[in-house]
Amino acid sequence: MADLLLDSNIRIWVFLPIVVITFLVGIIRHYVTILLSSEKKSDLQQVADSHALMRSRILRENGKYIPKDSYLIRKSFFNHEEKGFFNTEKREAQVKNPMTDPSMMTDMMKGNITNVLPMIVIGGWINWAFSGFLTTKVPFPLTLRFKPMLQRGVELQSLDASWVSSASWYFLNVFGLRSMYTLILGQDNAADQTRMMQEQMSGSAMMAPQDPMKAFKAEWEALEISNHDWILDGVEEELTGGIVQPETIYIKNKFT
Amino acid sequence: MATQINFDEARTILKKMREEQVRDGDMVVKLWEGFVIHQSHKLGDELWLVYEQVCIAALDCQRLDLAEECIEALKYKFSDSMRVERLRGMLYEADGRFNKADKLYSDIIEKDPTNMIARKRQVAILKAQGKTAEAIQKLNDYLKKFMTDYESWMELCDLYLSEFDYFNAAFCMEEVIMSNPHNHLFHQKYAEIRFTMGGSDNMELARSYFAQAVRLNPNNVRALYGVLLAATNLATVFSKGSKEKQINARYASWAEEQLTVKYKTETGEDQRKDTKCLESLRKLLELSQSTISSN
Repeated sequence: MADLLLDSNIRIWVFLPIVVITFLVGIIRHYVTILLSSEKKSDLQQVADSHALMRSRILRENGKYIPKDSYLIRKSFFNHEEKGFFNTEKREAQVKNPMTDPSMMTDMMKGNITNVLPMIVIGGWINWAFSGFLTTKVPFPLTLRFKPMLQRGVELQSLDASWVSSASWYFLNVFGLRSMYTLILGQDNAADQTRMMQEQMSGSAMMAPQDPMKAFKAEWEALEISNHDWILDGVEEELTGGIVQPETIYIKNKFT
Repeated sequence: MATQINFDEARTILKKMREEQVRDGDMVVKLWEGFVIHQSHKLGDELWLVYEQVCIAALDCQRLDLAEECIEALKYKFSDSMRVERLRGMLYEADGRFNKADKLYSDIIEKDPTNMIARKRQVAILKAQGKTAEAIQKLNDYLKKFMTDYESWMELCDLYLSEFDYFNAAFCMEEVIMSNPHNHLFHQKYAEIRFTMGGSDNMELARSYFAQAVRLNPNNVRALYGVLLAATNLATVFSKGSKEKQINARYASWAEEQLTVKYKTETGEDQRKDTKCLESLRKLLELSQSTISSN
């Protein structure tokens, strides 16, 4: 197969513009996000609730290190039938409907404006303006499996897999410019799309414990079935009797 | 400190101190004024962190002029930052203007009810004024909301101890132990509180926790002494029965043996005589054992 030769105009009018456009869009996004971002205010009640849940969890895990009386005092603080923390604290179930809460609504809007919208618009535009070009060639041979990844928009059966099409070049840039952004904008920049996408993925999991009553109920159950098994029981026997500590052997041998 | 160090070394030292939260105000101020201040533009974004660090260090050394400078610089950069406001509050504290500082912290809390630092500073003000009871009250209110702030539990423990309220201090120490059950010093301190409370039950707890501290760190001599004293007390004073007595005497003699070995290996000739008190304790034990056997 004869070797392909790319027109040098492709370099000037397709290859470089895509790099520059993606890069500038990233920088603009960074500043727009800073401009639009509103500080997340956490509610005191929510913070207190999460602290209480955390303390109860630690009590379940490390309660074995404190004497039984002390463990029971704490357990009844949380789980006492009438006066326990988890039984008396009543919280309104704050299942926020994003459509009715205006602040949530604007947050979502902002997220969309800075993340999804440019991705669609710029991606669409690049696809429309620069589609159908081969832009560059990776300097090593690749198997056929890479064809759909590197040659989006150019469906040619006979083409060698190491050629990269313009649309794929755009995507490579979107995900590959991260270290450039870190270099120019500093550590925690908002230009990085991959980070945004990760956040979106884990977003649903983070929103889950929004309803404190449910979390209290679950923690109450977990604490109710947990037992106290004092770990210090017989610690002196273990210390003085059975197990000889390695360094004492060493010292004894040295000086007797 | 070496007399000749350059800017980069000073910068690295400052960074390390920040990360490890070393509180050596004198050193920080010296490093800042001696090596960093003239080339502070080289620090980049780190400059603001260094300003904060130097500010707190300057407050520790009563260098209010330097602290004021740092705050001004930070204020110019972050005009409405709570973190800078807190520094200003600390400046008022160091200057003794407690009312003004308290008012400032209250304003911060009003703006941001979840601000933990401002709340803790308010406790610190009360403590500095010597109003221990009020500080305890305030810290209790704080801990009702932020239950997992173990630094504060520790502080509350110390406050209770200064009021000789051992029961509550023990409660606080239990919280701290649960936060990090592998720290032998927490176990040791808890045991000391129990030991001070007295009574046979507390003494047994003290013995167990001293033993746990020794198990976590076999070089903890203070805890070894604790085991020795608690076991000796249990064997001689709080006798429950001859069997208990014998067991405790065994623990005590074990601890004594460990201590003697430690002193022989670790210390010089002149310190040997410190072991005399160990010997007298052993004599006490032997005495008690002989009384058991004679019974």
